[in-house]
Amino acid sequence: MSACISAVANGLRKLWIPPVSQVRFRFHKDKIEAGPLRRRYGYEEKVVFKGLLPHVKHENHIPGRQYIPGDKWTPDKALFGQNDYIDIFSGHIHPTKVLYDVPLYLRGFKGNEFQCLMRKQKMLKHGEIPWRYPTTWRKMNKRIGYLYRYLNRHTRTWNVYRSRMTS
Amino acid sequence: MATRGYEKALSMLKTLPRVGLFNIAPNPGFVKPSKRGRGQHGGDKHGAGNKGSKARQNYMRTGYETSLRPYYLSFTHEPYYLGHHLKRQYPPLSLGQLQLMIDTDRINAEKPIDLVQICNTGLYKINPQCKHYGVHLTDEGADSFKAKVNIEVQWATEPVIAAVERNGGTITTAFFDPPSLFALTNVKKFLESGEPIPKRMIPPEDAISYYTDPKMRGYLADPDQVSWERLVLAQKYGYSLPKIEEDPNYEMLTLRKDPRQIFYGLEPGWVVNLIDRIILKPTDPELQEYYKG
Amino acid sequence: MLRRLVMGALRPNSCVQAAHRLSTTTESSPSEVEQYSSDGFPPPVVLSRNLEFPTNDGRKRMAWVENIDTVQERKLGMIDLHPDIFAVPPRIDVIWNNVHWQKLYRKVNLVQVNNRAEMIGGGRKPWQQKGLGRARQGSIRAPQWKHGGIAHGPRAPTTRFYMLPIHTRLYGLRCMLSVKLAQDDLHIVNALDIPTNEPSYLEDLAEERQWGPSVLFVDDTDVAPENIAIAADQIKHMNIMPVYGLNVYSMLNHDTLVLTLAALERIEKQILYFMHRTDRAKLAEKFKTSQV
Repeated sequence: MSACISAVANGLRKLWIPPVSQVRFRFHKDKIEAGPLRRRYGYEEKVVFKGLLPHVKHENHIPGRQYIPGDKWTPDKALFGQNDYIDIFSGHIHPTKVLYDVPLYLRGFKGNEFQCLMRKQKMLKHGEIPWRYPTTWRKMNKRIGYLYRYLNRHTRTWNVYRSRMTS
Repeated sequence: MATRGYEKALSMLKTLPRVGLFNIAPNPGFVKPSKRGRGQHGGDKHGAGNKGSKARQNYMRTGYETSLRPYYLSFTHEPYYLGHHLKRQYPPLSLGQLQLMIDTDRINAEKPIDLVQICNTGLYKINPQCKHYGVHLTDEGADSFKAKVNIEVQWATEPVIAAVERNGGTITTAFFDPPSLFALTNVKKFLESGEPIPKRMIPPEDAISYYTDPKMRGYLADPDQVSWERLVLAQKYGYSLPKIEEDPNYEMLTLRKDPRQIFYGLEPGWVVNLIDRIILKPTDPELQEYYKG
Repeated sequence: MLRRLVMGALRPNSCVQAAHRLSTTTESSPSEVEQYSSDGFPPPVVLSRNLEFPTNDGRKRMAWVENIDTVQERKLGMIDLHPDIFAVPPRIDVIWNNVHWQKLYRKVNLVQVNNRAEMIGGGRKPWQQKGLGRARQGSIRAPQWKHGGIAHGPRAPTTRFYMLPIHTRLYGLRCMLSVKLAQDDLHIVNALDIPTNEPSYLEDLAEERQWGPSVLFVDDTDVAPENIAIAADQIKHMNIMPVYGLNVYSMLNHDTLVLTLAALERIEKQILYFMHRTDRAKLAEKFKTSQV
């Protein structure tokens, strides 16, 4: 049935051919009349490219977040540096001894990662860290082992100790 | 008014804006940038060269030089320095330096001079951990040495002894064992530790002959022989020996430590409490016996 | 030393005028001083004192001693300042070095990212080596993988600690005190006693005398007088510090520095002691972690 209908339709098309005129040239006048080419139809530009500042008309486009300066005089900032010269003014206490916000094993310490972790291990191994945070402790020991192997086998040995001697 | 440069600077500051955290800066060139190159070709090989073992930074095992046998086993053992690290060292101090210390009031020559006085000048470096056994007084500046002192050193030579005794002074060579040296070189630290003052041990076998020699003014020598040797040395070097018996500072010049004693005026076994400023002495007979002998 | 202050007679007028250059911002002439005395105030007294380690190059510094128990300024006398502390070359770079050290020596960076060994899992080979046409892989936590470990990431803790040589720190303090005095930002008061605990009193005081607005009060004691403690506690930019808390950063941070007589004595004594110690060489040795 459907084959019959399609055969009839093909016969009718052959009987009547619609008139088609080929466009060989497009003139500039026609292009202007057609208006600009629409690109990215439906997309709304968020950045304003036209005109000079200020964009009074486009206030919505300007980020509306207000700058609020931080408090310069919080107790931490107001008293920053207190006791840094305590060895001079008290005569016997060293400033590295009163860095209470720095972990104990890092006060007055400077060195590379291996030296730092060795110091940490040495100073914390008798405390609660090994049994309270076993995973952290195991990871640290693993890292020390790795660094020991790396530094001794794949770097010049002198490099390891040079920083320690200068620190 | 502003004649000096810094006076000008300070008077300029009076009219300049207030110096604050925001307008201070280091000297130009003080902050050095990191040497490691960045960017497209900045850090290509990081100075390790092109290709091969060196580029891969493949370092030899310690003691090896590209072969199977380590180089320290390639040669026969020749122990030139056998026992060298165990030998006693005496860091030198010249007579000229000693005279300078006395002239600049670093040392009071009116009192007996020993290792404590010399260390307290802050100019003499000694570390008993490095087998340093005390002062070696050298003869540099002996001709211009003018001070009259009672000095106790750990090592001295004949010209030095002559230079000291020519001026009417006295010199003793005394041995201190390492625990005593720790106490002598940093007295404050030792006294703060609260330990009793140790008793001085006798010299080791190879030093006995030196410290019992009256020619070397050893502290274990016979005093009569020492006074005889003083005369002999004066005749040898051709100076007239000043009579210390007639010296107003006779007691100071002839003050000597006991062979067991470390500090002048303090006996072994005593504990000095610096906070309460008292001295604690042993009362136990056993302890007294130990520190006595 | 100040306990033994000699309350002497007025110095000759020329001396007062010479000290005038170094006075506080409120300029007062000798005639003004006399006017106070005619009004019933006690006359200003020269607080002369023997300076330790005197200099022989003719440098001299003096400053007024003020009161703070009234809003109106009243000169109580004049005091000698040690020129080795209050008249040294103002090296801005040394001040910067000190501030830089103060910022860095306490700095600890705790940022850390996990490397492939510290991440969970990744022990199994994700797929076989050959036969699948895929790239060979050994672990799902390798750094080229998404959700893999980080190679060469920051490792905690990293410290920026270094110790500035003690003589540089001493010089920084002396520079800073000299700069504060030269810029009329250093004021010396007899004591920190004020009549009320109202914060407005301190604000009025600062406005009347053109201090601040931020003021750092330094006293020799650990515990400040109650009134000023309560008043300064309510003003964020007015702070009280004991002498041993004094430092270069705080002096720069606050516009005006107010020292009590006792604090001044203590500061001078400590700085001079450290400047003239016989063991300077040992003091200047390189810092070792185990030394303190």
